[in-house]
Amino acid sequence: MSSIPVPSIELTTRNAATGNTSLEPLLTWLTLMFAQLERTFSKVPGSAVIARYVRSSHQNDPGRTVLELILIAFAVRTLLQSRSRDKSEGKLIKFSEKEIDELVEEWTPEPLCAPLTEWEQRDLTSVPVIAGPNGPKPKILSTGKAAVNLASYNFAGLAGNEHIKERAIETLRKYGLGSCGPPGFYGTVDVHLELERDIADFLGTESAILYSQGFITISSVIPAFCKRGDVIVADRAVNFAIQKGIQISRSTVRWYDHNDLKSLEDVLVSVEKDRRKRGAPVTRRFIITEGIFERDGEIVDLPKLIELKHKYKYRLILDESISFGSVGRTGRGLTELYNVPASQVDMLIGSVANGLCSAGGFCTGSTIVTEHQRINGTSFVFSASMPPLLAVAGSEGISYLRNTPSALTTLQENVRAVRAVLEKTEGIAVVGHRASPIVHFHLKTPSSANGSAYGTATSPTTVMPPPTGPPFDCEAEEKILQDIVDDALANGVFITRAKRLRGQEMVETRPTVRIAVTAALTKKEIEKAAGVVKASVVKVLGKRKL
Amino acid sequence: MSSATSLKLNLRPPTQSLKGRQRSASLVKVEEVGGRVEEVLDRSAYVNINANWVNAKGAWLIHVVLVVMGKIIIDTMPGMTQQLSWTLVNLLYLALSYLMFHWVTGIPFDNELHAGAYDDLTLWEQIDDGAQYTPSKKWLFTAPILLFLASTHYTNYNLWMFVINLTALIFLAIVPKLPQLHRQRVRFLAEDASGTATPVTPRSEKALDPSLINDTYFK
Repeated sequence: MSSIPVPSIELTTRNAATGNTSLEPLLTWLTLMFAQLERTFSKVPGSAVIARYVRSSHQNDPGRTVLELILIAFAVRTLLQSRSRDKSEGKLIKFSEKEIDELVEEWTPEPLCAPLTEWEQRDLTSVPVIAGPNGPKPKILSTGKAAVNLASYNFAGLAGNEHIKERAIETLRKYGLGSCGPPGFYGTVDVHLELERDIADFLGTESAILYSQGFITISSVIPAFCKRGDVIVADRAVNFAIQKGIQISRSTVRWYDHNDLKSLEDVLVSVEKDRRKRGAPVTRRFIITEGIFERDGEIVDLPKLIELKHKYKYRLILDESISFGSVGRTGRGLTELYNVPASQVDMLIGSVANGLCSAGGFCTGSTIVTEHQRINGTSFVFSASMPPLLAVAGSEGISYLRNTPSALTTLQENVRAVRAVLEKTEGIAVVGHRASPIVHFHLKTPSSANGSAYGTATSPTTVMPPPTGPPFDCEAEEKILQDIVDDALANGVFITRAKRLRGQEMVETRPTVRIAVTAALTKKEIEKAAGVVKASVVKVLGKRKL
Repeated sequence: MSSATSLKLNLRPPTQSLKGRQRSASLVKVEEVGGRVEEVLDRSAYVNINANWVNAKGAWLIHVVLVVMGKIIIDTMPGMTQQLSWTLVNLLYLALSYLMFHWVTGIPFDNELHAGAYDDLTLWEQIDDGAQYTPSKKWLFTAPILLFLASTHYTNYNLWMFVINLTALIFLAIVPKLPQLHRQRVRFLAEDASGTATPVTPRSEKALDPSLINDTYFK
């Protein structure tokens, strides 16, 4: 009946042999208990089956049975655990009702907009209000006098052009302000298509696509082509829109030193080596850089860049937001400046707002590139198209540039004049290429070596540049530069600091004053204005030293 | 998770996380994958149909059906002993389930919706959005154990067969399913960390750990 061995008999005999009487009652009690359990167990129906199962599982191998029992215990423990969320997906703190009530009682709403700090307040009030239309010599409301405008982008002098104004008013009477619809749905009017054709024709590419805002054009083009898993090699000093575009694209990004094509080549080689070592498949690869860097006015060496691109089989995304309409014999941009066919650049992005003083941006390239963006360019699909009158203004701007190359030569003369004056000024350092229509200068700290210095070698995985001298005090320098700007405005020259999104850009840059040279002013006026700026610099820096 | 209008994912403190990896001397390194903010956001945008099929009743039953069918088919082979047959069933089940749940990464369907955010995750890590001890995971945990116990019960394994079966069970079925190894990868002979050879965008950026995101992050 019972197959479980009963050890009780051996125990009592052993105890009797050793003569240990103190444990005897306990042991007897235990044996009686076991016998009792056995009898109850055998009364349970199916106990024989279970007993046979356990015996055949055991197979006279206690080690195996122990392991299996451990396994069963582990499985049971797992089954009994309660469900838990993924650690990294946020912790939900569970409050009791009373705690919730307390928190609700204590809560006072914060103001919708935090009150401005003193610096922010000053920054806001320092922006001058212009009475009337903007142009090369607008009337400032606070002083009541006209000031020379060296802050707005007006490279070829198209702002306030009477002929363009007339054409725009005609278009306004014909089309109204526009349908405000997405370009792919009902927002595209024939003048948009005409502007696209004009741009493609002007630059010598196959086709173009028009975006309604110039600033985010590049942020939309990059994620349209670069996806997660693709490789982007970008310059360290690219502007904010490009940084955001790269972030949205979720691609792998490698950085090369600012405007240093040797560093670019090193990074390209290392990317290929890395890929081969990991045995990863070939993905799409892109080089992203700007024609003229908005941050400091450097110009990239386009022929060398194209050569590298062909050698390592990368696609080039060139952001010509500043250089389109301002460099080259007729303003066609960097491709004309270096005599490189624009079809060599895979995606060429330009700004109709900056170069043609209208609004919007464009991307040109082959037909495949532009047609792809009509569905996959998120900014094209999900934003409203620009008003037709601005498209007409853009087209007129292009024909002006074609017919009046003298505007560009005037611009270059003016640039040279401005640089000649500013470079001789004590206490500031002018950065950028000498042909760049935007001129940045920053304060010169006495002991630093201005310009790039190669301290430690940098890794392409980090966006931080190599250290270039002692760290600068951002806020103090901004205050001084703002003083210079205010003083210049009081003397009739309207310049501006380069406004940056502090805390949001990847790398904190040195505060600069940005002068946008324009062809609408004569050389004398420009020289006079630059002289005023120089005087302001000298005055402010002189006062500060006291 | 966070209001879309005020999201400010700046790639800040580059000093600690984007510097590139220091040279490591160890042969074996355990690394976290797939924990960055952008990836978490991209994953939670849509339902992942590639991973929630394991919650269906049929998906639970199919384990039993396939094991039974496999046993029957293997038993029909001539010269098959009970030991060998059970071992083969056990090992095949463990190998195939390891391949399916713990080796292959990424998603075959709906890849465009998630923008490649699942490319580093195995099916096990995708189930139930990474929650642990869910019903499906408990079943998938128990099934190989039950199979192993059944196999040891019905045969008389000699020592080596037993050891083979047990180690296969532990290393192919139990260890990869442990919650401690969730989204961790063990790398042998990790790549040396010269600046150029470090792998793609920094993986375990503790500075952007979503569990640390609270209100102060957005100020």
